[in-house]
Amino acid sequence: MKKLFAMLLALAMMVSLFACSSNNPGGDSSQSPSQDTEESTAPSEAGEENTTPVDVTDPNAIDDNPTTADGKYEIAMITDVGDLKDKSFNEGTWNGVKLYAAANNKTYKYYRPANGNEATDDDRYDAYINAINAGAKVIVAPGFLQAGAMRKAAAEHPEVNFVFIDGFPLTERDSEDDPGEVLANVAGIAFQEEQCGYLAGYAIVKEGFTKLGFSGGGGGDNPACCRYGYGYVQGANAAAAEMGVNVEMRYSWQYGSNFSASPDLQSMMQGWYTSGTEIVFACGGSMFSSISAAAAANDGYVVGVDVDQSSQSDTVVTSAMKGLEQSVNFGLDKHFDGQWADVGGTGTSLGAKDDAVGLPTATWSLENFSIEEYETLLAGIKDGSVSVDSDYSNLEQSYSNVALTIE
Amino acid sequence: MTFLIRQTLIYAVPLMIVALAGVFAERSGIINLALEGIMIFGAFIGVLFVNIVQDAGTFAPAKDANNWLALQGFAMLAMLVAAVAGAIFSLLLSFASVNLKADQTIGGTALNLMAPALVLFFIRIIANQNILNMSGGDAPSWFMLRKSYFGYGRTDNMGFMGETFINQTYPATYVCIVLFVILSVILYKTRFGLRLRSCGENPQASDSLGINVYKMRYAGTTISGALAGMGGFVYALTTANCSSNGDVAGFGFLALAVMIFGNWKPLNIAGAALLFGLFKCIAASYTSIDINGDGICMLTQIPVSAHVYRMLPYVITLVVLAFTSKKSRAPKAEGIPYDKSQR
Repeated sequence: MKKLFAMLLALAMMVSLFACSSNNPGGDSSQSPSQDTEESTAPSEAGEENTTPVDVTDPNAIDDNPTTADGKYEIAMITDVGDLKDKSFNEGTWNGVKLYAAANNKTYKYYRPANGNEATDDDRYDAYINAINAGAKVIVAPGFLQAGAMRKAAAEHPEVNFVFIDGFPLTERDSEDDPGEVLANVAGIAFQEEQCGYLAGYAIVKEGFTKLGFSGGGGGDNPACCRYGYGYVQGANAAAAEMGVNVEMRYSWQYGSNFSASPDLQSMMQGWYTSGTEIVFACGGSMFSSISAAAAANDGYVVGVDVDQSSQSDTVVTSAMKGLEQSVNFGLDKHFDGQWADVGGTGTSLGAKDDAVGLPTATWSLENFSIEEYETLLAGIKDGSVSVDSDYSNLEQSYSNVALTIE
Repeated sequence: MTFLIRQTLIYAVPLMIVALAGVFAERSGIINLALEGIMIFGAFIGVLFVNIVQDAGTFAPAKDANNWLALQGFAMLAMLVAAVAGAIFSLLLSFASVNLKADQTIGGTALNLMAPALVLFFIRIIANQNILNMSGGDAPSWFMLRKSYFGYGRTDNMGFMGETFINQTYPATYVCIVLFVILSVILYKTRFGLRLRSCGENPQASDSLGINVYKMRYAGTTISGALAGMGGFVYALTTANCSSNGDVAGFGFLALAVMIFGNWKPLNIAGAALLFGLFKCIAASYTSIDINGDGICMLTQIPVSAHVYRMLPYVITLVVLAFTSKKSRAPKAEGIPYDKSQR
């Protein structure tokens, strides 16, 4: 009897192992860029697949877990919280890294800090050190929460460059009185999210929605999400004023502090949609999953964030996009072309004037808001005739045509 | 009101079925603390199954054709797979506590510690992150009933009953309720049920009447594992958009509390689960609950912090347990490894 059960249990474990290993992405079938490099130097292998430098435009076709013979990786990417494949911010950045590496034959690797969504500065610091020990020359770090860990790692390793997406230049010490030198190996790249938030808010009100929602990540402390939200309200207000209608907006940071999907968020959104909200701006990485599930259940709509999310759900009307891949390219180019001094130690803010924010006109499902209207508005933002306030501390004001309820 | 009932059911049903899982194990004499772990494991295998089958494209034509019966078949299949996974996982507990006569509390705790770690390990390998999602689409558009399936338009009203119990519900919920009823009847009205319960009260007496106590305990724990695994998947399906991240928000432990609160009796358990589900629903969506349909959400008018509402389900559990646990009567022989030579 005992023997039988012991065997059964062993079998169960084995089956589950097999079931999983067959699903392992990457594996042997896909080749890493580093192998490409080695192979392309060997002339005898000219006939083989993948020997030419990879010219790929689909980031999903590039391996997520490349391995090199010497275990060294030049480009490292480290996330702050949330999931790598959040189909939004982190994934957009990661796709930028992969595309850059594939196009330029660089080696790359993703390091996730320990403790997942509860990762602390120490966990992120450890991830930086792991990456540096594994040969990283440049680290792409998306996420505003990286600052603490990056300050420490960048000060200790001046030879490594840091591309800080959604970031700002860092000083040696986190103190206003005695900040010390600006770290020359950190390049802060931020976006003018209020502009694409404005575009999205304007577009959906023009489309005819009058009951809007905003559900943001970061608990109200994340500057990028705050800018998105504030721009969104302003855009909605501007469009409503032009059309002479009044719109309602529910605005919440609840259940978003670590940018992840949760049953509670899904219930809350079910509540919103059931009680009349027509469209919600899902502004926070993986939170999208909970919000779009609630929208799908109630025939509601969603505005995506950071990247074009229309492929993920039929509920997505449009997405407020920012040029993540572009910014990664920008930072990595500066590093590999030896022009780091241009960006190191400074903050770069990309906006409409750099074509780094916008809505995906090809995939949106707006019917009453035309591409021409969009182009006009975008041009207005570019030349400054449409002004969008970026100081989100002004969020709680009285708007002419938006009734804002902050929950 | 419709929203409140629908949402309460969504939270209450996994709790109910997992609490019944606890009853089956404990009534046979095994303390199943591993409910949480088994739920996590079941949810993972269920989601993995959905993910793999979606990738294989077996049900893609059915999805395109809006063939909801086929999609429901897919959901049932996934539930079955999760149940089998839960049953297999629970064998670890039965083996430790029946054959090895180990301490059941420790065995259960070990499984609880192991499940999230194991699941996260696999998810990291498969998805390169800490969460495993469906490979495409979302749970409502695949597995939820909608009025359009029954010929109603987008703005048509199905009537109170239709809106509440058919539109926007998951049939998985009803399968769980039916299973709950059937299994409760089995536990109380059949020979097998009586034997199972006797093994949890006085196994020596049962043995003297020719009942194989080991077998009964294996049966109880395996049914328990299957139900908990299925409950875990139903939880992931209905509340977490069919994703698995090595966590079921403590529902396994809550189910234990519900079981004790329900005094190891199915009917009480159903009531307790509904109570908890109701408060859980209020906690998450109190700003949108409109009970009498006049467009005013009363709870937002009360000036208390959102945190108070979020504490409610747990506070209620504590209070109710404090008042009822005195009266509750656990199966007498639970937690004691059966030893034939003892009298």
